[in-house]
Amino acid sequence: MLSDISKEQEIVNNLKDKFGDKIIEAKVQSARRVFVTIDSKSLIKVTKFLAKEKNYTHVATISGLDLVKNLAVIYHLREYHSKEQFITLSLKVEVAKDKPKLPTIITIIPGAELYEREVHDLFGIVFEGHPDLSPLILPEHWPSGVYPLRKEYKLEDIKTKIEKVKK
Amino acid sequence: MSNSTYKVPIGPQHPALKEPENFLLTVDGEEIIDVKIRLGYVHRGGEKAFENRTYVQGLYLIERVCGICAMAHQLCYVNNLEPMMDVEAPPRAQYIRTIVAELERVHSHLLWLGVAAHEIGFDTLFMYCWRDREVSLDLMEMITGNRVLHAANTIGGVRRDLTADMISKTRKGIALLKKRTEYYKKLVLAEKTILKRALGVGILSTKDAAELCAVGPTARASNVKKDVRKDDPYSAYDEIPFNLITYDLCDVASRVLVRVDELIESANIIEYSLDHLPTGPIGVRAPRSIPPGENVSIVEAPRGEDIHYCKSNGTDKPERYKVRAPTLGNWASMAKMLIGGYVADVPITLAAIDPCMSCTDRVAFIDANSGKNWIWSTEQIKKYSKKNGGR
Repeated sequence: MLSDISKEQEIVNNLKDKFGDKIIEAKVQSARRVFVTIDSKSLIKVTKFLAKEKNYTHVATISGLDLVKNLAVIYHLREYHSKEQFITLSLKVEVAKDKPKLPTIITIIPGAELYEREVHDLFGIVFEGHPDLSPLILPEHWPSGVYPLRKEYKLEDIKTKIEKVKK
Repeated sequence: MSNSTYKVPIGPQHPALKEPENFLLTVDGEEIIDVKIRLGYVHRGGEKAFENRTYVQGLYLIERVCGICAMAHQLCYVNNLEPMMDVEAPPRAQYIRTIVAELERVHSHLLWLGVAAHEIGFDTLFMYCWRDREVSLDLMEMITGNRVLHAANTIGGVRRDLTADMISKTRKGIALLKKRTEYYKKLVLAEKTILKRALGVGILSTKDAAELCAVGPTARASNVKKDVRKDDPYSAYDEIPFNLITYDLCDVASRVLVRVDELIESANIIEYSLDHLPTGPIGVRAPRSIPPGENVSIVEAPRGEDIHYCKSNGTDKPERYKVRAPTLGNWASMAKMLIGGYVADVPITLAAIDPCMSCTDRVAFIDANSGKNWIWSTEQIKKYSKKNGGR
């Protein structure tokens, strides 16, 4: 089924025109699904542009991703007050595993607060400027420095680590 | 100011909560001035578990994210994987999926209406709603084989076809529920017990709902016109006419009315789908593994949108499977609703977003009850079950 993807192509072109080589990859996957990878240094600028000028003011969720060498964070952004059918734009940035720091986007989209806390819990990514990165879902006695969704932690390792803390 | 404030913990174990989460309220007298949320008490490590299971096993694991919106999560899962596998479910399967998804919305909204009535001390309505909810559960059992955790879908279609007998029984059940729902709507608008406890309680302005990224009936009750079934149609929704329900009171009453109206819309969608049910096969064969890629799928669950992200690596197991259930999207809005309200309104305000703690808490590994951590093996669970009369 061929669908009209001119709106999707338009937002990709807008981003490419505005940010040039800061856009590492941008593709229209299918109708209403756009994936964009950007340089992590431009995260705030791109998010601001999308939110203020293109009405992508809704963050559906933030996914963490372990790429073995690096970690990645995907912001699933969406147009909010659009009358037509909306596009979900997945904005991906990569960060080094040994220095996992990113600026928070809650100044632009307040709804991102809990999602950033969740990614911090599970992947150990620090969102600089976030008012409260205390554990949201991991228990009080969770061993520090264990980020369960990172690939280096196998199920068994986590089990042993928890048992150690218990003793 | 600081001398007159107190901290009141609600949960994880609290009579007002049906499931365990923790809300630390800062109160000044009866008024709530701040809320701090702590989740994770029913985490089960779902996202890690997906990475260790095949896509077919994941089909059944995804339902365990939530017992109430099992169909919505499974539908989101298959909608995510099918384009990546380059398969498409046939039209008849799409219509059956729509019917089961709407039956689930009917059961969930009736369940919610009952819980809301209970929270404001109107237990007669609670009993009525839960009696009627049985009708939708029975229909789902007839169609899928299960009251809950329906396992209706498979990758590439649905597991069971609808027979002529099932169709006529579904029509009868839906007609009955529609009549009852119309009565409830009349009752909600006239009954003082409800209006006194709902009007002007738990305010969430349209602006706040948009900024805090509220979803589902919670957003629509704050006059945000947003419904995945309209905005990003899946299954058969682009072929079915229905109304997007919004109310602009922005309070608990508004949230009740949105859900009652949606019950009627769901009944209409089911009737339309039965009238226009296409003929043909109910499934196509799907491959076991997926070439490297990624996809995002969104489904309107009864409580709001489910969003799933999948990254595949060429094998039969996902590299990463991320699940965001609607309740997590509504916590920030809920904190906003509580602030400025009274402690006595906490139960109904909490209930008004229709929270599903299990949905929200899909990722953990252990139960952190009163600081104790432990993991039960399958054997231990079986032993416990046997001790308590299980087979």
